Amino acid sequence: MQIDRSIENAVMITTVKGRLDSSSAQRLDEVLAVIPEGSNGVLLDFAELVFISSAGLRVVLKAAKLARGASIPLAVCSLSPQVHEVFEVSGFSALIPIHQSRETALVALT
Amino acid sequence: MIDNGIDIRLVNDLSEMDRLGAALDAYADAADLPARVAFNVSLAVDEFVSNAINHGYADGRRGEIAVKVAREDGRLTLVICDDGDAFDPFTAPPPDLDASIEDRRIGGLGVHLVRRFADGSAYAREGGRNVVTLHFDLQGADTPH
Repeated sequence: MQIDRSIENAVMITTVKGRLDSSSAQRLDEVLAVIPEGSNGVLLDFAELVFISSAGLRVVLKAAKLARGASIPLAVCSLSPQVHEVFEVSGFSALIPIHQSRETALVALT
Repeated sequence: MIDNGIDIRLVNDLSEMDRLGAALDAYADAADLPARVAFNVSLAVDEFVSNAINHGYADGRRGEIAVKVAREDGRLTLVICDDGDAFDPFTAPPPDLDASIEDRRIGGLGVHLVRRFADGSAYAREGGRNVVTLHFDLQGADTPH
């Protein structure tokens, strides 16, 4: 799993590539534990995420709770069909906004 | 192509998950599994093997977990077998899928996902081992891996 971070229009973007599973989830959890000062939004870009299990969902939920506590919107974008289905079946699609692309997510978050 | 399936044995340590994931990916490619089936098998393995490692050996003893995948009669059969404490994952209470972000818990979600994505599931306690068997239909599962 590879994690990259960037900031665009004061939105903290975290790009996750590869597998977000029981052995890699902890690393993402550590990266998402702090929302940088001055962030107006948090975006998880999953365009190159090929796999997610409940261990990964746990980290996404924790990040969503952290953002909620800080009154900052959090969204995810660019899910593959399989990852999208995991969000649907787990009920996460009702909790967390899902956008088709990074561009539409950034419009919604800023 | 000869499809020999997978037969892999792991010790009960999460550091084994990478080796297991790599073996599954290699098999999915070699066997040309539909992307959807490859994903669902990978999900079931990650959920049940990590559960066994994290909860099955409360006294810290060394254990062995076996993962087998075989293709027969248009479906894939996955068997996960561990010598951890007796536990039937399918008796776990279902997660509350309607809870708010604040109240939402992850417990039970992995089993819920696997049940939804598999086409058949069974649990048995045999000879001091938990044996979870899952079936995934290959017919009708579109797009190749």
